[in-house]
Amino acid sequence: MDPTVSMYISQGIHGIAYGMILFLIASGLNIIFGMMGILNMAHTAFFMLAAYICYAVVGITGNFWLGLVIAPAFTALLGVVMERLFLRRVAGHMSELILTMGISFVIVAAIKKIWGTESLPLQMPEVLQGMVNIVGVSYPVYRLFVIGLALVILVFMMLLLYRTRLGKIVRAAVSDRDMVNALGININLVFMFVFGVGTWMAGLAGVAIAPILTVFPGLADQVGMDAFIVVVTGGFGSLSGAFIVSIIFGLLSSYGVQFVSQFAPVLMVAFMALVLAFRPNGLFGVKE
Amino acid sequence: MMKNKVNIVIWVIGLVFLAVFPKVFGIYYTNIMVTLAIFSVFALSVNMLLGYTGLLSFGQAMFFGFGGYGTALALTHIEGIGVLPAIGIGVLASVVLALILSPLVVRVSGTAFAMLHLAFGQLMYVLALKLYNVTGGEDGIANFPVPGLFTESLKSSPEHFYYLAMVILGISAWLMWFITKTPFGQIQVGIRDNDKRIDYLGYKVPQSKAVIYVLSALFAGVAGSIYGMFHNLVSADGSLGIGMSFSPIISVMIGGAGSFFGPILGVAIFQLVDELILRYTESTELVMGVILIVVVMFMPKGFVGLFGILRDKISRRGAPKAEKEKVS
Repeated sequence: MDPTVSMYISQGIHGIAYGMILFLIASGLNIIFGMMGILNMAHTAFFMLAAYICYAVVGITGNFWLGLVIAPAFTALLGVVMERLFLRRVAGHMSELILTMGISFVIVAAIKKIWGTESLPLQMPEVLQGMVNIVGVSYPVYRLFVIGLALVILVFMMLLLYRTRLGKIVRAAVSDRDMVNALGININLVFMFVFGVGTWMAGLAGVAIAPILTVFPGLADQVGMDAFIVVVTGGFGSLSGAFIVSIIFGLLSSYGVQFVSQFAPVLMVAFMALVLAFRPNGLFGVKE
Repeated sequence: MMKNKVNIVIWVIGLVFLAVFPKVFGIYYTNIMVTLAIFSVFALSVNMLLGYTGLLSFGQAMFFGFGGYGTALALTHIEGIGVLPAIGIGVLASVVLALILSPLVVRVSGTAFAMLHLAFGQLMYVLALKLYNVTGGEDGIANFPVPGLFTESLKSSPEHFYYLAMVILGISAWLMWFITKTPFGQIQVGIRDNDKRIDYLGYKVPQSKAVIYVLSALFAGVAGSIYGMFHNLVSADGSLGIGMSFSPIISVMIGGAGSFFGPILGVAIFQLVDELILRYTESTELVMGVILIVVVMFMPKGFVGLFGILRDKISRRGAPKAEKEKVS
C-alpha cells in the first residue's frame, strides 16, 4: 500500500483512539452535569489520579489489569466522598465551580507531593504490546484496545440508562428531580451513585491513556482541557454531542499535529468558537 | 454633612499615608504595596464581572497577560516610547481582545461562560509558549527599558515607580467604583439578579454585558501592564498562567463578591496568607485549593459577609439603645 495513504489511515485511527478517551472523560462530566447541574472541575484531577494509582498498583503487583479495576474504583469512591462531604453542603453554581476547582488544586498538589513531577512510564501488558495488521497498515494493538474499551463502556452506559429501572430513575431525575423525590425515591442516593459513575469513567480514561502518554502532573491540563472543550462544544449534558465532538476533536488533533504541528491546539478552540458563534449552547445543547 | 466631613478626613489621611509610605517604610514594604495595588485593581476588574454582573470567568489572566505583553513589546521594539503610551498600548491590546471575544461570550452565561474563558485562556497561554519569536516562549520578555515621566529610567528608582503605579492604579480603582455607582452599574446588578426582568424593562442585556466585559478587560490590562513593568518581566507562566486567573477569584471570594472594597481586603488577606504559608511549604496550589474550599464551605460571602453578620448581631443587641439616642 502507498505509504502516504497508510499514514493517513494510521493517523485517523490514532485520532479516533484519542477521541474515545476524550469521550470517556467528557461523558463522565456530562452525566454529572446533566443530572445535577454541577460541572465537576475536579474531574480531570480524578482522571490524572487514576493514572497514578494504576502506576502504583502496577509497581506493586505488576498487573495492569488489576490497575484497570482498582484505580477507577478508587476514584469513584473518592468522587462519592467528595459529593457527600463537600458538594452537598454548598449552594449555587458559582460555589460549586469554585469548590471543585479547589479540590482539583489539592489533588494535583498531593500528586506532586507523593510522586514528584517527572513523567513515569507505565508498562502495558504483553498481550496489548506490538502491532497488528489491518488492511495493510500495521497498527499498535493498545490503541485498538482503547477504542474497544470505550465502545464497551458506551454500550454499557446505554444499557444502564435505557434498559434498567435505575436508568429510568436517573433519566426521570434529570427532567424533574423534585417530582422523583416526591415519589419516594431517595434522590440523594441516586445523585451519589451518578457522581460515582462519572468519576469512575474519568478514572477509566486515566488508566487507558497512561501507557500512551506516560504519567505526569501535566496530564490533567493537557487532556483535561480538551475534554472540557468537548463538553462545551457538544453541549452540556448531551452524550451524543460529546460523542460526535470527541471524534471530531480526536481527528482534528491527530491530523493537526501532522500538518500544522505548532497550531494543533488552536484548531480545537477555533472549532469551538465557530460552533458557539452559531449555537451558543453547543451543538446538541438545549437552551437553559 | 458630618459624615461627609469624616469621609474627607479619612481620605486625606489615607492619601498622605500613601504619599509618605516609601519614605517611612523603606523599599521592601514599598514593593509589597505596589504588588497589593496591582492585584487589587486586578481583583476589582474580576469583581466587576463576578460580583456585579454575575459572570464567572476562568480566564481573566489573558487580559492581564495581554496588557503585560503589549506594554513589554512596545517598550522593547519602539524607540524612545514614553511610559504612558506604552501602558496605553498594553491596555489597548487587552481591550481589542475583549472586543473580539465579546460577541461570542455575551451570548452565554454561568458555567458555559466560565468554561469558554478557561479554554480561551489556555489557548492564549499555549500561544504565548509557541510563538517564541514574538513572546520569547518560556523565558518571556525580560529586561526591557522602563522610561520614567521625568527620569531616564524607572528601574533604578522604585520610589518613582511607586508613585506612578499608585496614581494609575488609584485612578483605575476610582473609575471602577464610579462605574458601579452609575445607573449603568445598577443595571449590571439587575442582570446578575434577574436578567429576564432587565430584558423586559427594555435594557439590552447582551450589549450591557459586552460593555462591562470590555471595561473589565481594560482594567485587567492596566494591572497586567503595571505588573509587567514592575517585575521587568512578562512570561507565560507569570502573567498568563491559570493560577493568574484564579488568584483574583480567590481574593474576591475571600473578601466578598459584590461588595466594592471586599476584593481589596481579600487581596491583602490572600497575599498575607500566601506569604506566611509559603515559608513552610513550596506548593502554592495546595494553599490556593485549601483556601478556596474553606471559603466556599464556611463563609460563602467572604469577610465582608462575615462583618455584616457580626454587625447585624451587635446592632440587634443594641437596637433599643440606638433608638433612644435618636430621640434625644
